[in-house]
Amino acid sequence: MTALDFNTVLPEVMLAIYAMAALMFGVYTSKDKVAPLLTWVTAGVFAVLALWIGAGGEGAREAFGGLFVDDPFARFAKVVILLSAAAVLVMSQDYMERRGILRFEYPVLVALSVVGMMVMVSSGDLITLYMGLELQSLALYVIASIRRDSVKSTEAGLKYFVLGALSSGLLLYGASLTYGYAGTTQFAGILSTLQGEVPVGLLFGLVFMLSGLAFKVSAAPFHMWTPDVYEGAPTPVTAFFATAPKVAAMGLFARLIHDAFGAIPGDWGQVIAALAVLSMFLGAIAAIGQRDIKRLMAYSSIAHMGYALVGLAAGTVAGVQATLIYMAIYVTMNVGTFAFILSMERDGKPVTSIDSLNMFSKKEPMKALAMLVLLFSLAGVPPMVGFFGKFYVLKAAVDAHMTWLAIAGAVASVIGAFYYLRIVFFMYFGKDADTVESRMVPVQWALFVASAAIMLVGIVNLFGIEASAALAAETLVR
Amino acid sequence: MSLALIAALPFLGALLPGLMIRAGRNACAMTTGFVTALALLMLGLHAPAVLRGEVIQTRIEWLPGLGLNANFFLDGLGLLFAGLILGIGLLIILYARFYLSKSDPMGQFYTYLMLFQGAMVGIVLSDNILLLLVFWELTSLSSFLLIGYWKHLPEGRQGARMALTVTGAGGLAMIAGMLILGNIAGSYDLTVILQNKEAIQASEWYLPALILILLGAFTKSAQFPFHFWLPHAMAAPTPVSAYLHSATMVKAGLFLMARMWPVLAGTPEWFYIVATTGLVTMVLAAKIALFKDDLKALLAFSTVSHLGLITMLLGFGTKAAATVAMFHIINHATFKAALFMSAGIVDHEAHTRDIKRLGGLRHLMPVTFAIALIASLSMAGIPPLNGFLSKEMMLEETAHTVWAGSHWLMPVLATLGALFSVAYSFRFLAHTFLGPVRDDYPHKPHDPGFGMWAAPALLAALVVIIGLVPMTAAGWLVDAAAGAVTGEPVAAKIKHWHGLGSPALWMSVLAVGGGLMLLASHARLDAIWNATPRPEAKRIFDGIVEPLAALARRVTAISHDGSLTRYLAIATVTITALGYYAWATADHGTGTRALTPIQTVPAIGWFLLVVSSLALVAFHRNRLLTLVLVGVIGLMVSVGFAYMSAPDLALTQISVEVATVILLLLALNFLPKTTPVESSGGRKLRDGLIAAFGGTGVGVLIYALMTRDFAFPSIAEYHLANSYKEGGGTNVVNVILVDFRGYDTFGEITVLGIGAIVIYALTEALLRGGPANDRLLAWSPDQRRAGDRHPLMLVVATRLMLPVALIVGVYIFLRGHNMPGGGFIAGLVVAIALVMQYMASGFAWTQARQKIDYHALIGAGVLIAAATGIGAWFNGVPFLTSDFGYVNIWPLEEFELATAALFDLGVFLTVLGAVMLALASLSRIAIRAGETINVDAFDIHPENDGPRTEPATTTTEAR
Repeated sequence: MTALDFNTVLPEVMLAIYAMAALMFGVYTSKDKVAPLLTWVTAGVFAVLALWIGAGGEGAREAFGGLFVDDPFARFAKVVILLSAAAVLVMSQDYMERRGILRFEYPVLVALSVVGMMVMVSSGDLITLYMGLELQSLALYVIASIRRDSVKSTEAGLKYFVLGALSSGLLLYGASLTYGYAGTTQFAGILSTLQGEVPVGLLFGLVFMLSGLAFKVSAAPFHMWTPDVYEGAPTPVTAFFATAPKVAAMGLFARLIHDAFGAIPGDWGQVIAALAVLSMFLGAIAAIGQRDIKRLMAYSSIAHMGYALVGLAAGTVAGVQATLIYMAIYVTMNVGTFAFILSMERDGKPVTSIDSLNMFSKKEPMKALAMLVLLFSLAGVPPMVGFFGKFYVLKAAVDAHMTWLAIAGAVASVIGAFYYLRIVFFMYFGKDADTVESRMVPVQWALFVASAAIMLVGIVNLFGIEASAALAAETLVR
Repeated sequence: MSLALIAALPFLGALLPGLMIRAGRNACAMTTGFVTALALLMLGLHAPAVLRGEVIQTRIEWLPGLGLNANFFLDGLGLLFAGLILGIGLLIILYARFYLSKSDPMGQFYTYLMLFQGAMVGIVLSDNILLLLVFWELTSLSSFLLIGYWKHLPEGRQGARMALTVTGAGGLAMIAGMLILGNIAGSYDLTVILQNKEAIQASEWYLPALILILLGAFTKSAQFPFHFWLPHAMAAPTPVSAYLHSATMVKAGLFLMARMWPVLAGTPEWFYIVATTGLVTMVLAAKIALFKDDLKALLAFSTVSHLGLITMLLGFGTKAAATVAMFHIINHATFKAALFMSAGIVDHEAHTRDIKRLGGLRHLMPVTFAIALIASLSMAGIPPLNGFLSKEMMLEETAHTVWAGSHWLMPVLATLGALFSVAYSFRFLAHTFLGPVRDDYPHKPHDPGFGMWAAPALLAALVVIIGLVPMTAAGWLVDAAAGAVTGEPVAAKIKHWHGLGSPALWMSVLAVGGGLMLLASHARLDAIWNATPRPEAKRIFDGIVEPLAALARRVTAISHDGSLTRYLAIATVTITALGYYAWATADHGTGTRALTPIQTVPAIGWFLLVVSSLALVAFHRNRLLTLVLVGVIGLMVSVGFAYMSAPDLALTQISVEVATVILLLLALNFLPKTTPVESSGGRKLRDGLIAAFGGTGVGVLIYALMTRDFAFPSIAEYHLANSYKEGGGTNVVNVILVDFRGYDTFGEITVLGIGAIVIYALTEALLRGGPANDRLLAWSPDQRRAGDRHPLMLVVATRLMLPVALIVGVYIFLRGHNMPGGGFIAGLVVAIALVMQYMASGFAWTQARQKIDYHALIGAGVLIAAATGIGAWFNGVPFLTSDFGYVNIWPLEEFELATAALFDLGVFLTVLGAVMLALASLSRIAIRAGETINVDAFDIHPENDGPRTEPATTTTEAR
């Protein structure tokens, strides 16, 4: 344990200390009265850390004898995680406060889960992986049921916990098998044992760990918690679930398969391709029948995770790069979309039914237009940025000779387009009905419009994330 | 750069109408027109070079990593289409200025129109298929806005939705096709792809790519079976219909087919898919057009028919047919746009488009009539107009085409299509303009002002000019475009008279004659048509989409109904099935380890374990029995550990088992003795099967693992070798716990302590006012209580047992370092001894005699363990490194002292505290629930043995 080690994990340590200090501050001061302040400060801390991580750091460093890795890949993922978490925090503050569910624990729990996520994407060892994952998950279980007096929210939290615990169990089982057959828990060590014929126990371990991680990214057939949790949890929590944790889990996914099992892409490629196809189609088909926009976004996120997995299934530098770009775009779109969903209300009560968007364009043409852009982007219609994300992953699959996977992706996107367009249809040409109100505080409005604008302006050069994603991918894939 | 500028101009121009509308409608239209004219002019400057056969290119890097470049190129084909788009666009702008009423937001209209125009120009100038895709979907989006422009019309909404769904989905499918194409060619630049005919046609991915790209093209160009969206999109304002649905957007599909012609055409797949689709579309749509009463619907289906005609020509894959296709594109754009605009004028003036309410307009609207006359005669293919020329050439081509060995199928069907075409063209003319003047028009029509008919008149003039001097007026453009399509120089010969020997002449004559006859009997046919049920495209679309959506909804409802058990069942089945698939499809060797022989004693133990597990599942509704069975299973597991020479584990297991069963028993006190029936027999069977399959799968996995060697020698060797040397103990398990893995243990006892405190906190929450507390207060036990709650025998026995049990605890604690035992087990043993006191003598009696706070016990335990760890620092070694030594104290023999024992003490205290705190918490609930508190050690209430009349009312703790 040297100073250098601590230097490498300094952002995580500082965030953890901040979270604990904030908890103490909340407990010993006025409790929920400081919640808005804490929310903003936490978001500020996230943003500062994101800047710090994004601006600083060159090359790859290891800490604690390889337990913890700090490389461009980790930094890319961390910046996305921190920024999206900050965005979700600031846009949910007003919503939660007005509905009396803004507890001071909320920002603290979010901060703790973000620490877990940062550890996840930086892990270089099965132990670190599990530690990060559980820190994240435990915080998320509580956040899901933060509205304790709501049966739905409680149920969501409980379901998430039961299924999440199951997935953790699978993951642990896989990790112990891997340890048994590789003799080490370090990713680099596992990679070095993969020569010649791969022992069957190691393959079992790999598959079990992939299953556990598939739960966390909510890839089919491990997706079942997603719709219920998305629907049951308060909307700001749903927005958080749909963004940062997905990036972290996907980052961990990429890290595990490349750092620890990079020598046998054929073995995990199949599994991930199967997960991807199932997710894309399930997400697309199941979303069609949804009437609740939060539930719809759950299925949409399942489908989106399928596309991100397509990039990973390719097993190439381009594939990882595509996944990273995809996740960054996905998060941006979701922040915007949820900023809008948060604003939907009628008589001061939140509304989430899709029907309530009937003829919304008449009432608020600007917001409807921004939403239209976001929905088209989610559907992957050119020229919105969402198309580029999809195109990157599909291209990676084709270049890796997985043409059938790319075709499956394109077909699923056709099915998926149907339900996004349905919302557009309601907004522009629906029946004249009791249209929903859209109430946004300035910051929410700014995030909403900014993310819609990014979907259009981003087509110029994707804000240069292409290069940093490529750099990140290169450090991961050897 | 200038090509990019041409493509960018309309987009830049799209900003202007919104600004200029403030300066008036004329200024707005003029600015829009000016921008379009400017783009047209710039295109014109390039025309001479293109006509010489040069290809003009502009290359801009965009996202090179993706293969996406903003590359543009202009050849004959691009020139033809760009010219059409910008030229007709200009006319449409002029026409729309007068067509739109004062209440329509004109700025918005022109903005959408310019966006659309830009997207179209982008498509035809793109030299990169990704760029083309981007523009392609942009046309879908901007057309969506244009079609839905009149939002107040419900029909318009439906039309916009269907158009967007169909064309947007087709475009998305095309992405995959383009990806494959780019992958084969190694570049996404069209100029490169067009050089790779052999590679593409030889690839195994040719057919999928072809189908996916054609899906995009067919949906856009409204080819059968995707033809249904186009007529419904006609609810849009007429300028939109004229521009999008006759001249430009629907031709994008044709453009794509023509663009890809050099690499995709010429194969049997291409011929049979494209030519057949075109032919079917042509005939079918022409027939439908004949029976449409809405002027625009008639024209819409006629457009579909003509698009089918061009598709068919492209499908032939011959140079001559491609040339005719190019020529017909020009001709169709001229006469169809003119017809749409005339229909728009009629609608504008007469306030109806229903052909049944019109007629005799030639007297009222002579100018419009003249325009419509020329255009529709051209559409019918009457000489010498341009429609005649291309139709004649088309018929000539079909006459030479063999379809699946049949020489007559193509020409006959093509003639039939032409026949219908003649019929609907004349119907349009006759039923709108000829006949007597009526007096029941919704609005008295008259010719509009010059501004409105100028655009169609210009187009009608073009129809005549091209018809009279085809070679001079259009020959050069056809040559350039066809040359670009086929990739070789083309010199078209367009003539009016091919001689009497030409089959096309007779086919033409047949078509005109038959068409006129058909029109003559139209009234009767119309009655039959209306009487026969026929597939209504929109209903089919809804009929397909709705059930599919309903199916999706049902599947989702079944699989995602919120039931956790169902989710788990689905996940288990899927995983098991995938595992089985992997097992069945892969080859797998047998294990390397030999099986050990089965011995009687462990076999019996295994059998008992299985039986009690199964019994547990079978009798799970009876909770008490379940608990007993859990105890049996735990016991068997402990015996198993003992049998396999793991006494430490066995001891731990059995003491944990006892402690948990007792705690569970106490908790069970407040729960119903049986669980309600929740699942039917069928469901139990299903779940049983799933469980059996899943269990078998896991069993097989474990078997596969156990019969193989680990990759590395087990870590046991290291611990066996080092446990005494480094940890000073011969009990390896204990040394691991308190030394090698002391950090883990430290973490564990902390968690254990936290767990106990959480139980306490939860109890606190329950006891606070609230629904849970109310339930507790209203709780009444399932069964009558025994009168003798603290039986004498038990009380006496536990009193005697306590000192013995405590001594056993101390003994186990002390021997732990070298023999089986240790702080954890000792803590449990002592806890069990104390729990027995609670059970035998009651809570209050015992509580009164115990002096130490359980919270403090836990805290002390953790602190002692931590202090031991920190102590190592003073020794100059890392946290928790243990130290040991031997001491001699008279009169004892030499014995060992190890810091590990101190650490173990911390473990002991924490475990004891945690179990007792859990017990105390449960007791508090019991008291709240009405459990009486005994003051004396024995409190026999004989009256309780009788039938109970009212709840016990002895002292209860105050709320």
